[in-house]
Amino acid sequence: MLNLQEVKKPRGYNFAFLDENTKREIRRKTLKAVAIPGYQVPFASPELPIARGWGTGGLQLTMSLIGPEDVLKVIDQGCDGGVNAVNIRNLLVKTTGVKTTYATSEATIIQTRHRIPEEKMRDDQILVLQVPIPEPLRFVEASMAKTREMHSEMDYSRMWVFLYENIVKWGEITLGARYPSLVNKRYLIDPSPIPRWDVPPLNMADTLYLFGAGREKRIYAVPPHTRVEPLEFDDFAFRVEDFSGLACIRCGSTNTYFNEVFDGAGGKIHVCSDSSNCDKIRAQREEECSCASD
Amino acid sequence: MPAIDNIIFQVHNLSKYYGPGCPSCAVLTGPEQETNVCPRCGTIVACHEINLDLEQGEILGIVGESGSGKSTLVRCLYFDDEVTGGEAYLAAYGAGKADIFRESSQKKRHIRNHLMGMVYQNPLLGIKPHFTAGGNVAEKLLTADVYHYGDIRKRAAVLLTRTEIPIGRMDDFPAHFSGGMQQRVQIAKALANNPPLLFLDEITTGLDLSVQARVLDLVKEIQRELGIAMLVVSHDLGVIRMLADRTAVMKNGRIVEIGLTDQILEDPQHQYTQLLVHSML
Repeated sequence: MLNLQEVKKPRGYNFAFLDENTKREIRRKTLKAVAIPGYQVPFASPELPIARGWGTGGLQLTMSLIGPEDVLKVIDQGCDGGVNAVNIRNLLVKTTGVKTTYATSEATIIQTRHRIPEEKMRDDQILVLQVPIPEPLRFVEASMAKTREMHSEMDYSRMWVFLYENIVKWGEITLGARYPSLVNKRYLIDPSPIPRWDVPPLNMADTLYLFGAGREKRIYAVPPHTRVEPLEFDDFAFRVEDFSGLACIRCGSTNTYFNEVFDGAGGKIHVCSDSSNCDKIRAQREEECSCASD
Repeated sequence: MPAIDNIIFQVHNLSKYYGPGCPSCAVLTGPEQETNVCPRCGTIVACHEINLDLEQGEILGIVGESGSGKSTLVRCLYFDDEVTGGEAYLAAYGAGKADIFRESSQKKRHIRNHLMGMVYQNPLLGIKPHFTAGGNVAEKLLTADVYHYGDIRKRAAVLLTRTEIPIGRMDDFPAHFSGGMQQRVQIAKALANNPPLLFLDEITTGLDLSVQARVLDLVKEIQRELGIAMLVVSHDLGVIRMLADRTAVMKNGRIVEIGLTDQILEDPQHQYTQLLVHSML
């Protein structure tokens, strides 16, 4: 006889929350995404008990990838303490029990919202990016059927015209984040709303970058050692944000991406966006100082 | 079939059917039957076994009543529609030995962007009203792999001046232009990549007479100076008389007569051509 008590053991959630079939589906689609760099692969999954737009795309990728031995780091706009990062980290820890870290170099999986860590990542690490709008051509074409056709024929002329008209109107390309970039000389991607500062690290990196969009259920990837080229005119080169003459008020760094903050007196101060990198530089400085004073 | 001498474009037995098609379609439609709808299967025979040759710098006129398959023909040649059968060879592509209808959609896009230009009757089919006039010209250049902003600006200014669009309006939206101006922007765009072959589909229909004359002048000038071969579709014999070196007369999806324009207009052979010429005002 079937004993319901025996069959339905109260075991809480599956490891990493998702059931194994969903994980398998996401892993298969991730493999496809890696095989076709920059191509947006649709995936299927049940709804998460988390609102879309809160990083569900990245979360599902992380949940399908993570194992008990992994060390997790979660950041939101470069900061380990952001609301989004803290909540996602808590959920993942609760459902997996993995170790977490703030240090970029110690993590094996890093899930991030809108930034790439300043510290150069290695080939044994994976960066999972949360993507609000996966379609780079959404700027110029509303129909999903049409953008798919444009991708298949590599017809990116309208994106180019968009950039051309930007220059006509403003004298330069005004896209601050989500800068359209060509992967492996074939597919155009929206690199998620990372600042321009973070586009060059995508190019020929050692690390696997995975992009997950939960709302539109798309996965795409930039595999290691793959070309990622921001669209640029021959006479209008792509530029990253200019922070020359500025330094972080906490760590004194001059070669990192800064957040602009108003001090109480109406002036502007700048502080590193990547908080753990900032802490690291600060600690090094303090060590040097204490050595010097000894 | 390889292209010979200075023939730059050849079309063989181009057919375009809308519908299932049956063995009787070809026999039961045509000018003799006075219909292009097959009575057996209801298929519309828009074009049936059309053959054309185009020499470099030549303007070939295509004339016929509405519904005779003129526009379908150019739409097929510009890959807007897929052909049912037939072949076409472009001297500038694959040494004139590759049937362009059999190429992949990516290759077709390449041919269209690099070797062809198209001007539609409705300017809004050819230009995008939410791109600026300059942006529209830029689009054609960008599809043809010109990625230098300064060069694009210069070329757009030259072409728009050419087509009498004031440079001051280069960065305005065609949605705010008059119909004639929109048409001239479309011509500028079609010419942007210096295509060896240009299709013009009823370009003056719907324009007022003075604008019509200016657009026709422009086309004639471009042909003389740049030596571009053109296929001009019109139901207006006046336009054909002014532009075309040779003319093909279409009826019910067939070419019923083809020859020098003067010959067609002065000494029409086919019954339908005679009717057409005699109904000229």
